[in-house]
Amino acid sequence: MKIDPSFIWLAFVQLLAVIPTTLMITAVSVTAGFVIGLAAAIVRIYNIPLLSQLASAYVTFIRGTPMLTHLLLIYFSLPVLVDAICAQFGWGFKSSSIPMIGFAFISFSITAGAYMSEVIRSGLLAVSRGQLEAAYSVGMTTPQGLRRIVFPQALAASLPNLSNSVIGMLHGSTLAFTVSVVDINAKAQIVAATNWKFFEAYLAAAAIFWGLTFLIEKLTALLEKRINLYNRGGVA
Amino acid sequence: MIKLTNISKSFGRNQVLKSINLTVEKGQVVVILGPSGSGKTTLLRCVNYLEKPNDGEIMIGDYSLKCKHAAKKDIHALREKSAMVFQQYNLFKHKTALENVMEGLVIVKKLPREEARARSVALLKKVGLAGKLDAYPSQLSGGQQQRVGIARALALEPEVILFDEPTSALDPELVGEVLAVIRKIAKEGITMIVVTHEMSFARDVANHAVFMDGGIIVEEGPPAELFNRPREERTRQFLKRITPELNYHI
Repeated sequence: MKIDPSFIWLAFVQLLAVIPTTLMITAVSVTAGFVIGLAAAIVRIYNIPLLSQLASAYVTFIRGTPMLTHLLLIYFSLPVLVDAICAQFGWGFKSSSIPMIGFAFISFSITAGAYMSEVIRSGLLAVSRGQLEAAYSVGMTTPQGLRRIVFPQALAASLPNLSNSVIGMLHGSTLAFTVSVVDINAKAQIVAATNWKFFEAYLAAAAIFWGLTFLIEKLTALLEKRINLYNRGGVA
Repeated sequence: MIKLTNISKSFGRNQVLKSINLTVEKGQVVVILGPSGSGKTTLLRCVNYLEKPNDGEIMIGDYSLKCKHAAKKDIHALREKSAMVFQQYNLFKHKTALENVMEGLVIVKKLPREEARARSVALLKKVGLAGKLDAYPSQLSGGQQQRVGIARALALEPEVILFDEPTSALDPELVGEVLAVIRKIAKEGITMIVVTHEMSFARDVANHAVFMDGGIIVEEGPPAELFNRPREERTRQFLKRITPELNYHI
């Protein structure tokens, strides 16, 4: 096998154009996943009847099935569902006008939510019960105590694992090609299709993914340093 | 004035408080003594509603609450009448000493930031921590953390400050500084209920002592009486165990 270094560079430059697609899928799924995960974690920790069982079922089903399966299930069921509902209410909306990337957004958010709910739950459990009691004792309500005292500490505790989730979703976003969304990996395949230099193209894709991951790692480290200032101890 | 009437509390089948009645006058310093498991901490936590009594009535100042029908709003109103100093300090870990004291003033009492800050700085000075305003709890010793905890409670200007074994988690050499602060504020006429094992402190500072055992108040009265001439046999046993007998060999 002969490697063509110049084509690695050529592919690299072409791949840069689709970085926003990959980042968009990652950002949307992680953000929505965080909200879903937070809700699931809270209803489970506070053992809210019905919701807690629902959340547990959601987490175990989603974590028990592959991310690609989620995407395919959504891809083949959502249009039928949307069309049925629109027909029922006489709305003019057609499922065919949903952009392909929309399916990736929805399905990956659901995937991320399940994984992140466990990360957030562990963060919340890491905050001692005394913190909320202290919030009560200075006269705060439960929402005030959660928002001002418990959540910031839980976030700090779960930060390393959250960055893991972000990286996981970044790499997982390559699956979006299954529903013909052109992300970095997909673009590499397309670029190489003309001259069969797949290895070079995927090498370029790998370099970009590594670069992005490296950025996420650095960003987390920075954030961790800022947020965890209070945990260093013994400095004063 | 604080008045607890028929306070009962069970954890499952275990009845921890059996219809407790206790009155604390304004400005009084009350110590609650008793062996572990006697319910003294639970009683204290009931006053702040960190523990939900099954029955009874809690009155603090002009606010009174029937525990059986307590709504969230009522509990919140009752909590604002008291402040708690915890055995494990429970300072907000992600906030500096100053922010810990300010938090309740800004968020609950809705004081303007500048005013809250000035008041908090003054209080931290009072507990001897003027130089530690920007230190995080993890950067403070246990004694310093507990003094921040006391400043945090004082800031709210509650009707009563509840101390739950405030020195039990401290190194022996740090106990003194915390007790000194509590002594100082006791002299200012702030109403306090203190659960403690520090007998000499109880003797010196308190003007009312309560001995609890098995979920009931066995005996109460002026500390001098309770310590020197306990009426109940159970009190006598407890005091004997906790204060070493004087035994001179000359």
